Amino acid sequence: MRTSPGRDVMQPVTAHVTGSWLPGRDRGARRSSSAVLACQEQPVECRAADPLPDQHHRSAGVTRPPGHRYFWMIATMALPPPDPEFVLRGTAAPVHTLHFSCRSQEPEFPILFSGSANGLVQIWNLKTHRVDKTLDGHGGKSVYWVETIRGRDELLSQGRDQKICLWDLAEGRSMVTDSVSMDSVGFCRCSLLKMAQDRWLIAMPADDPDEVQVLELPSKTSVCTLKPEAGAKLGMPMCLKLWQPGFGACPFLMAGYEDGSVILWNLSMGKMLSRLACHQEPVMSLDFDSEKAKGVSGSSEKVLSVWSLDEQQNLKVHKTHELINSGISDVTIRQDRKILATAGWDYRIRIFGWKKMKPLAVLDFHTATVHCVSFSDHSRPSERLLAAGSKDHRISIWSLYNQT
Amino acid sequence: MAVFDTPQEAFGVLRPVCVQLTKVQTVENVERLQAQLQKVNAAALQELQEYVLFPLRFTLKTPGPKRERLVQSVVECIRSILSVTCVKKQDLLHELFSELCTCLSSPSGLKRPPPQSEEVKLTVIQALQALMHSAYGDILLSLYQPSTLPHLGFAVSLLLALAEQEKAKEIRTSALKCLQALLLHCDCQEYHRLLDKEESQRCGDLFASFLPGISITLSRMITGDIKQGHMITVSAIKLFYQTVGFIMADEQLRRFPEKKEKPRVEQSRIADLMVHRGPDWVQSTADKLSLLIHKIVESSSVHQHWKVRLELVELAHHLMLKSSQSLVASVGQLLKALVGLVNDDSPKVRSRSSEVLRSIAEQKVITENRALADVLSENLHSLATALPRLMTSQDDQGKLSTLNVLLGSLKLLGSKMNIVLNSTAHLHRLSKALMQVLELDVTDVKIVEERRQGELPASLQHGLQKGQAQKKYFRFFTDERIFPLLQQVCRVLGYYGNLYLLVDHFMGLYSESVAFRKQAALVLNELITGAAGLGLDVLHEREAAPSMDDLKGTITSILEEYTDQANWHLVTSTEEQEEANDKLAIPPSRLRALTEGAHSSSHVLSSAAALEPNPTIRSMNSNIWQLCIQLEGVGCFTHALGKEFRVLLMSALYPVLEKAGDSTLFISQTATGTMVDICQACGYGSVQQLISENTDYLVNGISLSLRRVAHQPHASRVLETMLRHSDASLFPLVKDVIQDVLFTLDQSYDSQAASFLRVLHSLMAALEVFPATAEEPQGNDTGAEGEASLPAHAQVAKDVMERCIHLLSDKSLRVRLKVLDVLELGVTVLHPHDNHLLPMAHRAWPALVTRLINDDPLAVLRAFKVLCTLAEKCGDFLRQRFSKDVLPKLAGSLSSQAPVSARAGPVYSHTLAFKLQLAVLQGLGPLCEKLDMGEGDLNRVAGTCLVYLSARQPMKLQEAARSVFLHLMHVDPDATWLLLNGVCCPHRYPPPHASLRPVQLSGMGRPRGELTDNVLHLLGELEQRERAMLWPRTQGAPEPHGPPPP
Repeated sequence: MRTSPGRDVMQPVTAHVTGSWLPGRDRGARRSSSAVLACQEQPVECRAADPLPDQHHRSAGVTRPPGHRYFWMIATMALPPPDPEFVLRGTAAPVHTLHFSCRSQEPEFPILFSGSANGLVQIWNLKTHRVDKTLDGHGGKSVYWVETIRGRDELLSQGRDQKICLWDLAEGRSMVTDSVSMDSVGFCRCSLLKMAQDRWLIAMPADDPDEVQVLELPSKTSVCTLKPEAGAKLGMPMCLKLWQPGFGACPFLMAGYEDGSVILWNLSMGKMLSRLACHQEPVMSLDFDSEKAKGVSGSSEKVLSVWSLDEQQNLKVHKTHELINSGISDVTIRQDRKILATAGWDYRIRIFGWKKMKPLAVLDFHTATVHCVSFSDHSRPSERLLAAGSKDHRISIWSLYNQT
Repeated sequence: MAVFDTPQEAFGVLRPVCVQLTKVQTVENVERLQAQLQKVNAAALQELQEYVLFPLRFTLKTPGPKRERLVQSVVECIRSILSVTCVKKQDLLHELFSELCTCLSSPSGLKRPPPQSEEVKLTVIQALQALMHSAYGDILLSLYQPSTLPHLGFAVSLLLALAEQEKAKEIRTSALKCLQALLLHCDCQEYHRLLDKEESQRCGDLFASFLPGISITLSRMITGDIKQGHMITVSAIKLFYQTVGFIMADEQLRRFPEKKEKPRVEQSRIADLMVHRGPDWVQSTADKLSLLIHKIVESSSVHQHWKVRLELVELAHHLMLKSSQSLVASVGQLLKALVGLVNDDSPKVRSRSSEVLRSIAEQKVITENRALADVLSENLHSLATALPRLMTSQDDQGKLSTLNVLLGSLKLLGSKMNIVLNSTAHLHRLSKALMQVLELDVTDVKIVEERRQGELPASLQHGLQKGQAQKKYFRFFTDERIFPLLQQVCRVLGYYGNLYLLVDHFMGLYSESVAFRKQAALVLNELITGAAGLGLDVLHEREAAPSMDDLKGTITSILEEYTDQANWHLVTSTEEQEEANDKLAIPPSRLRALTEGAHSSSHVLSSAAALEPNPTIRSMNSNIWQLCIQLEGVGCFTHALGKEFRVLLMSALYPVLEKAGDSTLFISQTATGTMVDICQACGYGSVQQLISENTDYLVNGISLSLRRVAHQPHASRVLETMLRHSDASLFPLVKDVIQDVLFTLDQSYDSQAASFLRVLHSLMAALEVFPATAEEPQGNDTGAEGEASLPAHAQVAKDVMERCIHLLSDKSLRVRLKVLDVLELGVTVLHPHDNHLLPMAHRAWPALVTRLINDDPLAVLRAFKVLCTLAEKCGDFLRQRFSKDVLPKLAGSLSSQAPVSARAGPVYSHTLAFKLQLAVLQGLGPLCEKLDMGEGDLNRVAGTCLVYLSARQPMKLQEAARSVFLHLMHVDPDATWLLLNGVCCPHRYPPPHASLRPVQLSGMGRPRGELTDNVLHLLGELEQRERAMLWPRTQGAPEPHGPPPP
């Protein structure tokens, strides 16, 4: 029997939607609780086939809040949680990172790169849902970050063997043409930013445990090393995000640290601009929307923190969102900045509206910790997909909220 | 034979007989002349031709009545002369012609056949024929002058009368042949001079006068009695089209001026007879001919003999070629005949008519000739309009020919058919007719009743056989040729027609009404087959075949529709119906209110099931058929796409497998056939390969379906089918989804247990077969997880058994029985891993005991089987529990049941009580041995079983009881010996020394009782065993009666 913190404690995630006036949070059945609602602009479906609504009625009968009738009408008529479009199996190991490459036109097919704990990078053909090619370059050590450059001709992969490999994938090749070694043994994923044609910046944990190093690719020359001032006690960097306010502008780095703070670095000066202690626990993942100057971070606690950057380049907490179960291993904002997805230790993927952090759905499919979430870069919004990789060796692919 | 080579010599020989014949005209003399003629060679005879003919002609001309015999021999003689010589003089030709004709003149005119004997008629006809062939060069043409018109006319009418009215077949055919020669269309091997344009024009003018007579008579013959034999009909047809084609030739008529030429003919009477082939004449003649042609086509196209139909093809060809303009009114008729014959039963007719059609098509007679294309489209229009009516009113034969015509017109029109199809009204008509005629007969009850029994047909396991479509029965026809014809029609539509238009239209019909759904699916399947260019032959290639992507797109959308819940999950059996009802706790009325509020298609399944009060057998049968047709459709699609279909397997394979596991035999057979089709088209060597190479797709489908309560039974069916078709290689991939199954089972013990148990049973059965091969890769796998070195398959077995323990006390007997089966398999799989099996046995024990001592006899029986297996695998681990929990109860029930079975009659062996007794008795022996039971228990067993050694017990129970004792002998031979001897002791045991007391056994000296026989038998067996054990040691010093030491 599988157990998880989230499964046995029957907490209704419904509360996200109806929470403000629904007392007795723990009353819903597990299945219905995950049947999260919301997003009422979609056509409402009846779940007649599912006997669970009935169960709902029974459980609701215990304490009837005012207006309960209205609530149950919504609950019964709401959309059932969507199923994955499909599930990719066959990594044979926990999946740690995912990266789509779907922008290129016909006849090239959309693909998904996955990096898993057995050190393999697999290239999934999203037309046949099968692995086209497997790259083995990290000596069996976990791969936890992959990113393509030059279309899909080249691929960067970061592994626990303390190496970042550059793969040449053009014309059916698959060989490591270059590599950078790191001394860091942490879990911090790299971040890549395109500066110009054929020139990239890559941020990665440096030799010194609390430093971040920024290199220029493909030359591999060091741009700067970001070292916190003495006594800052940040601990190791946990997650990085390179960004620039506009193309050609000076690049910045958002970095989450072990002590729970998020720091904004100016790369050209190599200087810390702002520090925000938004978590009690290490920051597991963050994403930043440079247009709205707003970012989101998740840690091992039950809180999702949304913070913003003001004109004086000061970070401040914008909002925090309480979760039911603790632990967010990944958070990603979709390219169109409309929704964001989180990967939970409670085996669930959560979808929020980015504007107001409105909870939209809880996707319950995986049977172990979800490690990563990634949105596809399809050029047509309607084709956009969400992929989630989990410790249960599966990659689930979802098609969500892409009609707008 | 010819001995006289020179004219002189010949003359010498012939002169006397000629003179003799001139003097005395008798048959003998004619025959003598005939005999002499044989000896003269042809060249010499040519010189003497006129001389020799003279006496013969003289004989004919002699006035007065003549004997027929004489006439016959004279004419015969003339024929033989003519057949080897040439007639070189006009006069002679003319005279002979009229003399021969006169031979058959009759006083009553031409209305009736001449009165002469048949022999005479035949000879005269043959002589005339010979004359026509012996005319030299241009001489023959001198016969065809306006002046000879009366003669010719006479001959023509004479021959027509003979051909039509005689009884003898030979005369009729020769008359026709002769007429053919007379009309200059002889088709014999000999040389015939070809006419130049001028000459044919002239002859045409002359013959035009005979056209009415000839055409009417011939058409009468053609449509006449079938009994006349096909040869005559064939010749008549041939003569008809040759004559008509000659006289009405477009080439000749084109040169006729409007005005009648000034009569340049001498005699006005003859001029009156002559015909002027001006436009008016052509028009009126063509009208009359079109009636005749209509009649001919009507009767010949359905003539039984293929040669007649073949000749009809020739007729159409000839007339279309020679006189398509003059006879334009008949062209439609002729084309109809041709296209109808394209699908003739006879291959020759078929190939010839399509050849003719192709040549017509190639010559662009149709496409460039607007008139003809219009005629065809018009035909199609009117056919489409009339089709619905025809399909309901006609008999099978009529339908057959109508459809033949439809098919032919479609083929001939090719891509031009789209003009007709683009008219909504006509497409509507056409499809309506198809929907009507394709309506299936769904009254066969057997289809609903036949259930699948576990295993698959043997054919599938051995190799691939072509998936055969289920034989269909239709409401409106029974002829087996009609359905293939309809398939052809649809395929041709798919081949030439606008695929999007057609598929759209029929998809519309498919979703429009249940009444059309099956037919529309049938049509769609064939449309796709046709569009892929499969299974049809056509007259000309289409201009542009749909691209593979178009075809794939179309097929994908049809497949989506077919496998949509509402069309795929239909009620096909009463069980399903009940299950569906069970699941719906909400009363239907409320459900309806809900669904109306928020209409959606995804829940149509259950709501439809609920709204439909009680499906009749008929509607279930109809559903079964619909599924079969859709499954066959998948087969068609895979053939249409070939290997390209592999991509579609992602969505298509799962539903097919689901149906392969259907409990209705008919559906599962069809689905299995579809799988074979897929294998063939996509290049998989076997169904097993198909499944194992697409396990990822299937597993994906299963795991997603498990998330929906309504789909769970389907998912379990798919998994079951997968397991049934595969081997160890599948296990690593399936492992993942099995976790899902178990998880789902945990969620819904109440509702889904039964359907999941079926899967678990298949799973365990599969695991039992392939543990050895599956072991290795899994060993490493789980090792990494840190699990206590339990191979993955055993881990699965363990997980399954844990669920079984919960389900052992399920309230449904069916579930309990199934669980016991699964449990037994699980024990076998887990057997090598004792430290997992024993705790499991410990946990299962209480529930198992309850089954054994307090349950339905059926469950007791199974539970006892499980117990035996468990004992075999676990051994003495169960000893204490068995002797404490189970044995007393078993022994008690055996003892209490013994008197009943001792008294019972022969029927008793069919009761459950008997089976239970038997099973327990059979199982107890091994149990005692395996569990290594203590003395007290053994005694208890022996004591209980002793009563079953009674001769009054049924034979089988006695045997089983004996087997218990045989096992006991293994465990403790001495105690058994003592016990048995206590009942009956056959031997005395004198003490070896007088000081010892004699052995006293309680069985000694007892009278023969009911137990004696079996006890003696057992003691004998025991003795033998002892001896066998002692023998090798004592080296042949037997101590046969030595009692075992006390």
